[in-house]
Amino acid sequence: MRDFKEWAVFSGILSIALILSMAGGVWGADNSLCMGCHQDEALTRQDAQGAKILLYVSEAEFKKSVHGGLSCTDCHAQIKDEAHAAGGQKVRDRVECGTCHQNEAKEYRQSLHAKAIMKGTDAAAHCYDCHGTHAIYPVKDEKSMVHGANIEKTCNRCHSDTRFVKDHALGAGPTPGELFELSIHGQTGEVTCASCHGSHDLRSLIDPQSSIFRSNVTQTCGVCHPEIAKEFEESIHGVLAARGRSESPTCTTCHGIHGIKTKVAPESPVNERRIAMTTCPQCHAAERISETYGITTGQVKSYYDSFHGLSYQGGDTYSANCASCHGVHNIRPSSDPKSTIYKDNLQKTCGHCHPGASANFAKGKMHIAASIHAEEFGEKVAGWVRVVYILLIIVVIGGMVFFNFTDWLRKTIDKRPR
Amino acid sequence: MKKYPRMTLNERVQHLNLFINFTVLVITGFALKYPQAFWVSPFTEVPLGMTFRGLLHRLSGVAVLTLGGYHVLYLLFTDQGRRILRDMIPGIRDARDLWETLKNNLFINRPAKELKMGRFNFREKFEYLGLIWGTIVMAVTGFILWFKEPWLTNFPAWTYDVARAIHFYEAILATLTIIVWHFYSVVFDPEVYPMNWSWITGEMTEHEMELEHGLELERLKAREKEKAGETGADTGKAYPFYGKGGGKGSSARSIYSIIQDFNRDIKNWKGM
Repeated sequence: MRDFKEWAVFSGILSIALILSMAGGVWGADNSLCMGCHQDEALTRQDAQGAKILLYVSEAEFKKSVHGGLSCTDCHAQIKDEAHAAGGQKVRDRVECGTCHQNEAKEYRQSLHAKAIMKGTDAAAHCYDCHGTHAIYPVKDEKSMVHGANIEKTCNRCHSDTRFVKDHALGAGPTPGELFELSIHGQTGEVTCASCHGSHDLRSLIDPQSSIFRSNVTQTCGVCHPEIAKEFEESIHGVLAARGRSESPTCTTCHGIHGIKTKVAPESPVNERRIAMTTCPQCHAAERISETYGITTGQVKSYYDSFHGLSYQGGDTYSANCASCHGVHNIRPSSDPKSTIYKDNLQKTCGHCHPGASANFAKGKMHIAASIHAEEFGEKVAGWVRVVYILLIIVVIGGMVFFNFTDWLRKTIDKRPR
Repeated sequence: MKKYPRMTLNERVQHLNLFINFTVLVITGFALKYPQAFWVSPFTEVPLGMTFRGLLHRLSGVAVLTLGGYHVLYLLFTDQGRRILRDMIPGIRDARDLWETLKNNLFINRPAKELKMGRFNFREKFEYLGLIWGTIVMAVTGFILWFKEPWLTNFPAWTYDVARAIHFYEAILATLTIIVWHFYSVVFDPEVYPMNWSWITGEMTEHEMELEHGLELERLKAREKEKAGETGADTGKAYPFYGKGGGKGSSARSIYSIIQDFNRDIKNWKGM
């Protein structure tokens, strides 16, 4: 019995070792059979479009990479026997990274790139398009294609390639890469494409779980800008946007998307010179939006006719623009007691620029449009002033013109050489 | 050519002061209302341009009011001033002069009635009254707009909006009055064209006096005769307080004489 037991243990260990060594997957596995052909730099094949694909693999590079301890067939699991090595037959199936990286693969399968591939666009990003093939490094490693400093380059290989963008209808105008380079986010060096878009969870714009889905934009920006995001979520724009109102602006509506610049840059939509000329009026002077929400387009025009608006149009940066009174991320309706334009808060709001502003400052309508048909007393009186003065001007100046013209006529006639 | 004194140096300086400041007010004022107009670009293209515009406007406004205050003192406390005040008071005669002029010009009076008008005819009186009215209205509304915080401490907000409307429309009225009424009187009137130079020289020719201030001319001539009779010499002094009397003009003589000759040539133009 003892003999058998000893033998059984020995043979068991031996078989396991044999099986293991046959199966490979042990550190420093032997890839020499594969490298026999694949170390040749001239080894190529042609793909469906007739383009040449390099089949060369640098063993040195591979050994340095994170997968360096694996054997070729650990990933290229389709190669089960000697048939490929003997006949150089093309391997049909792709590498399944998900065999080991299950969570990432699961996530990826829901992503925009995966879905595009499944619909037939093979040019969309596979695992190896972003991570590389044989020279994959950990994310924290500077040599990794998905290290923070390199992600932009990786994504822009396709997304800033004008030909690629055109072929796959990825958008018109400057590419995201071009815009991002000039943006404040691009210049800090801390924000990458993945910061907002995610990586394996990069979903379609119309996917409600996407980080860039309209209703989620505030949250996405809020990861780095939490106080502003919170303020915005409670504001009128934030509330409406969260309800799914597509006309209501979110962060990107006013700030831009890839090309976000700081408010001191003249091209930024939130530059003080543009706020009251373009950024706010593009919605608040739009008839469609006003009708839908029952707000008036008169606010913009009445602002332009007011002292603040006139001085602002003349280039004055001290005059109030929309944001000066209404706020920026905390815009609330005038009925909201927390609003900067709530009746009890107005004196303080005006007082920011007009020290000594009394309560009277804030009484009555702000955006006035003088008209005799107006309901507000001040507007009505100013409307009448206008009517009376215009009549007066027509009568008085008209009378003067008539009088002087006849005078001139008579005198000119009298002066005719006789 | 006999010249009659029309404006003393003091008065000419007052007028020039008004001329310059009124122009500055008009330009800086309408620059705010029409910021996109081409002529406003000196303000809009320059940093702090609009702020500077506002400063200029207020400065000129204060200047006009200071001038107005000085003028009132001048009218009350100098001989010339008191005389001007006396001669400027409008009367029925002025309304009649205006009406008859209109009838003359419309060929309703045939032949045209010859009108002898006083030292200040209906044109000037109308202008002067308009100036008083305009200055008061613009000053009051202007101060409301300028000192809005103290004003609104005591008055409701709608008064600000009304003041703003009045300030704008009165500005239009005043500017048009100057262009249509005053500029016709002193530039485009065929009897003075290209210009009545008395605002620089302080004098008017006998011919001009005849046409526009016939009554005053008669009075002055009668006075001269009287004086000549008394002292046996032609003192040539039209008004007792005028320093040098008619004849010698201002220090702008040399420049003026060129313009004067040009003026005379235009007036005597009889065609090719």
